[in-house]
Amino acid sequence: MVKKKVAKFLALRYKILALIFIILAGGLVLLPKYKKHEGIKPEELLNNVINPERYISTDALAHKIISKDPSILLVDVRSEEDYNNYTISNALNIPFSKLLNEENEIYLNQDQYDLVFFSNDNFYADQAWILCNRLGYKNIKVLEGGINQWFLTILNPPVPTENMAAIDFEQYNFRKAASMHFGVAYPEQTKEVKEPEVKAVPKKVVTIEKKKEVPTEGGC
Amino acid sequence: MGPLIPNGIIPADWDSIIAILIGLVFGFVLEASGFSSSRKLAGVFYGYDFAVLKVFFTAALVALIGLYYMDYLGYADINLMYVHPTYLWGAIIGGAIMGVGFVAGGFCPGTSICAVAIGKVDAIVYVIGIMIGVLIFSELFFLFQPLYEGSFMGNITLMDSFGINPYWFIFIFTILAIGIFALSDKIRSKVKKVFY
Amino acid sequence: MKIKTQTNRHIYWNPYFGGFLLGILIIFTFYITGRGLGASGAMKSSVVTIVDAVTHSHAADNAYYKQFISEDKSSMNNWLVFETLGVLIGAFISGGLSGRIGWRVQHSPKITSKRRLAFALGGGVLFGLGAQIARGCTSGAALSGMAVLSTGGFITMLAIFGTGFLVAYFFRKNWI
Repeated sequence: MVKKKVAKFLALRYKILALIFIILAGGLVLLPKYKKHEGIKPEELLNNVINPERYISTDALAHKIISKDPSILLVDVRSEEDYNNYTISNALNIPFSKLLNEENEIYLNQDQYDLVFFSNDNFYADQAWILCNRLGYKNIKVLEGGINQWFLTILNPPVPTENMAAIDFEQYNFRKAASMHFGVAYPEQTKEVKEPEVKAVPKKVVTIEKKKEVPTEGGC
Repeated sequence: MGPLIPNGIIPADWDSIIAILIGLVFGFVLEASGFSSSRKLAGVFYGYDFAVLKVFFTAALVALIGLYYMDYLGYADINLMYVHPTYLWGAIIGGAIMGVGFVAGGFCPGTSICAVAIGKVDAIVYVIGIMIGVLIFSELFFLFQPLYEGSFMGNITLMDSFGINPYWFIFIFTILAIGIFALSDKIRSKVKKVFY
Repeated sequence: MKIKTQTNRHIYWNPYFGGFLLGILIIFTFYITGRGLGASGAMKSSVVTIVDAVTHSHAADNAYYKQFISEDKSSMNNWLVFETLGVLIGAFISGGLSGRIGWRVQHSPKITSKRRLAFALGGGVLFGLGAQIARGCTSGAALSGMAVLSTGGFITMLAIFGTGFLVAYFFRKNWI
């Protein structure tokens, strides 16, 4: 009796297997589709956010600009009006409200330059940074303190008092020299070293292909 | 998650060891399915043995459905998988030449290696033949270069070329494959048996 | 005639079972390494290594060999070569377990061993040539390509089996 049942079952085995296959394949069609989570995971994002390395200090930035480091690309995320008013030399203007416009993606999603975001203070630059990080864009930093800090430290450095350490004087000298580079005139200067402010020329950016990271060479 | 090595979960040093293990299972399955026998392989073209067709399509189906389920459940990212690049005319002409070679020699490279392992002399000759073929190709590379590098269409998938939904495609492909299996059994029962 | 009781010399696995395991293996391979299986790549590496050892300058001049030669590491130090070694071992184990190991030439009773070997050589040459043009053989291009729905994989698969069926008639004496 049992044998008969088994035999009967076995006769149908290919049909059952075929049915399982069809159900499985049909399952793929019928399963509710959801948009895949693009970009990095929340935990990873938090990790990136609390990492202090995402900031670049005004001194470091000034140093890079003066030494004409070709790898940095400044991005001003303030409004166009503010940008026209004053900006750090050679910065590119991507207003925060237009950050995700398609034409800006080629500047943001690249791996050629170190992007430095800045706004009046950290606020908008940080938000822009988080958005970009969430999208998986690489090599982006935020100018610590933004334009305000830039103004306070580089363009208008506080004169150190007598009782401060030598290192502060060094820093002051560097900042002063830097500020001259950026066109600030000091009374003690006899000659005015006014460099014409170079208007922002958007650098040509080579975009990286999105997706399709082919990790290994092929089969046969 | 996966793929594990490109995502750095398994260090790349393990690559070779994993390669040997994967090859081991690959060889075992091929041999045990009878792919070390050239007459069994050639049977698919004459209708007396459809093992190649069945193994081949079952494997493709299982892999397809499995990979897409894993992608759906988030265990593996199908976009990170290596997609064989498409060189249209290279694939067609190369495939046609391989087809002739398959019928004439009765093996394909993977199966010939299996057959070499169990001492088939014809397989050893076949592997030597493949090496000569590679040699000819390399020596006359300037002749084949336009074909080899021409009509490149990128690492595209069927979704890119035809804009079809992969899930529907898999479903239709499954039904088609099961139809082919049923048909092959019918043909086999009509064709004169060949014993080998 | 005792055709009715005649069976094949060897009993192999059920093809669906083999196919199922192979499919699982392909998933596993893609999951671990992000790429598919392959076989002819190892033979290409061997040829490149041999040519490189015999005449290094010639290999370095040839536009095709050049891609696979690097100064610091041998072209045999390659994923596919290790995989192929595994295939050899795996097939040997399987063959050993079912007693299929032995030097022999398998051919239709209608032809001689010599003819079989000649055709095997010719077929091998053609297959080697075709596999280079199509950048992969049945396992690398067709099977692994199909698993990720690669267009090239499907085209190669159709071309191989399509041509196979077309020309099968001319080679029937070898097999039936």
